[in-house]
Amino acid sequence: MSTVPTRTGTPVTDATAPRGGEPPVWVRPVRWTQQVGWRYLVVAAALFFALFPAVWVISAAFNPTGSIAAQRLIPDPISTVNFEVLFETHFWRWFGNSMIVAGVTAVGSVFLCALAAYVYSRMRFHGRRTSLLALLLLQMLPQFLAIIAIFLLMIGLGRFFPEIGLNTLAGLIAIYLGGALGLNTWLMKGFFDTIPHDLDESAKIDGASHVQVFFTMILPLAAPILAVITLLSFIVAINDFIVQSVLLTDERQFTLAVGLYRFIAEDYGARWGPFTAGALLAGVPIVLLFLFLQRYLTSGLIQGAVKG
Amino acid sequence: MTTTTSPGTDTQPSVPGGVDAAIRHGDHPLSRFGDTLMGVFVKLVLLGAVNGLGVLMIVRIVGLDGPWWGVATVAVTTLLLDGIYLGKRKLPLKYLIPGTIFLLIFQVFPFVYTFYIAFTNYGLGQILTQDQAIERIERVSIRTLPDAPRYGAVPFADGDDVALLLTSPDDEVFLGTPDDGLLPLAELDVTEVDGRIVAVDGYERLSLGAAQDRIDAFTALRIPVEEGEIELVSLSAATMREQTRFYDPDTGLLTDELTGAVYAPSDRGRFVNVEDPADTLSPGWRVVVGTENFVRAFTNEAIRGPFARVLVWTYAFAFLSTFGTFALGLLLAITMNDARLKGRRIYRLAMIVPYALPTFMTALIWRGMMNRSFGVINEMIGVAVPWLNDPNWARFSVVLVNLWFGFPYMFLISTAALQSIPSDLYEAASVDGASGWQRFRKITLPLLLIATAPVLVSTFAFNFNNFNVIYLLTGGNPPIAGAATPAGHTDILITYTYRIAFESGGGQDYGMGATIAVLTFVLVAAMAALSFRWIRPLEEINE
Repeated sequence: MSTVPTRTGTPVTDATAPRGGEPPVWVRPVRWTQQVGWRYLVVAAALFFALFPAVWVISAAFNPTGSIAAQRLIPDPISTVNFEVLFETHFWRWFGNSMIVAGVTAVGSVFLCALAAYVYSRMRFHGRRTSLLALLLLQMLPQFLAIIAIFLLMIGLGRFFPEIGLNTLAGLIAIYLGGALGLNTWLMKGFFDTIPHDLDESAKIDGASHVQVFFTMILPLAAPILAVITLLSFIVAINDFIVQSVLLTDERQFTLAVGLYRFIAEDYGARWGPFTAGALLAGVPIVLLFLFLQRYLTSGLIQGAVKG
Repeated sequence: MTTTTSPGTDTQPSVPGGVDAAIRHGDHPLSRFGDTLMGVFVKLVLLGAVNGLGVLMIVRIVGLDGPWWGVATVAVTTLLLDGIYLGKRKLPLKYLIPGTIFLLIFQVFPFVYTFYIAFTNYGLGQILTQDQAIERIERVSIRTLPDAPRYGAVPFADGDDVALLLTSPDDEVFLGTPDDGLLPLAELDVTEVDGRIVAVDGYERLSLGAAQDRIDAFTALRIPVEEGEIELVSLSAATMREQTRFYDPDTGLLTDELTGAVYAPSDRGRFVNVEDPADTLSPGWRVVVGTENFVRAFTNEAIRGPFARVLVWTYAFAFLSTFGTFALGLLLAITMNDARLKGRRIYRLAMIVPYALPTFMTALIWRGMMNRSFGVINEMIGVAVPWLNDPNWARFSVVLVNLWFGFPYMFLISTAALQSIPSDLYEAASVDGASGWQRFRKITLPLLLIATAPVLVSTFAFNFNNFNVIYLLTGGNPPIAGAATPAGHTDILITYTYRIAFESGGGQDYGMGATIAVLTFVLVAAMAALSFRWIRPLEEINE
């Protein structure tokens, strides 16, 4: 990732250290407060802000009262009754549906994206500049702006091909794959550009076809960016609410987003406990994936991917 | 291009260089042949699958009386794919097509289709095509006439299928089934015991008790006959229901034979009584109404007022979110960018938590926490702030929650950008006697802004259409009083579009929803055009 700023300069604040000799001992606590101490205060406030909702959800999930009122930070007694109530719904079915949709979308997106990025990085052809710019423009116009048309399209398609019509996971995946190209293609092309061209040139001289170069050289060398795009596509698919809520009406076909939303929106007061239990479980795969891919992600994000 | 090892490749042991390559450069017929054979095989299998799929799709469309252009599209697409992948040329296309097909069907086409819908009256009551609407009107006009013929009926069943043995007023006997209508008994295989018909064509006679057990199936039974249908009135009698409205394809008029009224199709997609314009038939069908939706959006006070508010709030929300998250992220990045701070790695990891949790879930959690009566925030502070119920508080709340969602990303970006600012700049500034604030204003901020401008632009565009936070936190509410469409004080354009189209309160007006979506397209596209110059990757296109 050549464009990632990796040069580590001296931390900004080191330059603020007073010049000249060591100050008298009695000045040190004051100076420490001015230069370092306040940072702990800011960090403490930031930690509270960032973590409070998460901590509170964990607490709520194990609170036996199950209602939004009367919740204490440390539940007493700790109970799993919320999970038992939750499992009376189709929760695991929703969970599985979400994993299937997000998983297939992520893998499919990466593949489609890599194919496109390969030609943009390695070949020069008529319309290259125009189509690259078009992809960038399309990225600015999110797919779900056309949600009404997508809905009507799926009704129309479903008349002839119910396999990918309303209420199907396949239909949902197909729609998400429609958004596979876009900024992700740019990210991936940027990475492919950093893989030396000499590599594939000499492989071709060696008799390798362009397909072989793509599968046996470019893809393995591009593993970091593939990981980043996988994660981003997975997150986009699992977080989407608008398309899923329009397409899915059958409770057994719900995903986590639609299922948990319907579950809690019907009765915020009484279903709070089971809902937080579900939220906790829903967060697990994403957090795991995040931790697993974190080191790739930071650099990938800086190249301009968007979320939040 | 090169047969010698270049500096860039010597870390890659798999790459042959120098003499090695020169030797292998000479054709290696065997390996080449093997690779190609495998490639051709895979290609043919895949193409075969594509063609098979194409044929299946065509068969399906034709079988269901689908439109000819559907068949044509599938056929032409399949042939084009064959041509491209079997041909030797058009190499880039071979790689671009898989993603492009999905892009065209599920993104480009919906965009174009949205424009079309915006010029129609598509919506509740106007969903069907005219042919479908006529069929529906004729079907619902089937009713029992006062002088309708009565039939004697005996219930029969074959497994789950139910049927009736019917005796007409002039004593003809038929077997009536929902699929085949009336079948004269003479043509069927009839079993009689003691002069009683006990079985016909696999259907067996049911006792009254057995029929009573399946009463739902029998009440739902409709036996189609010409211009109407037969249904049960009791378990031993049936009556004829007749169609009363008829469409004449030659005149284009629809006549009600009971009242004698004549209906003509209007340009609004309804059949209207030619003598009484107030008398219209449901359902209607969708018609192109031109720029009517756009005119309504800009002139009708009950639509224009809320729309203008939503528009202004969309910009305000995107702006506040973008710069709020950037300011907070930058503040935290600067705060933690000091080697003397202990545990920085852990703090940085903790800052990512809001980013790592799925937003659909955390938005709903914030909604619970901000509940006025029993939310944890009010309970902790001991107040009753209407976080989500008062217009101004609700606006504050969505921005606050979005700050929570967005600052980790800005924190990551700012951290990386800070670390890339050369330290000698600061040293030079110190030598010149610049204060800490001056160094921030004159060095850190300008350099940071240059590095993060593309990110700020894309974050703005993202928040412009941040459906999840708004819809899941407030649903766009509290509602704006006096609005003709469902509109709330926290609605942004995309949630507004969604609610007009899919929430029943507004009567599911797809045309109007698409109109708002088209206006959003235009605004976002204009924003994109303006920001293109800032986005660095553009410069790399011409390498």
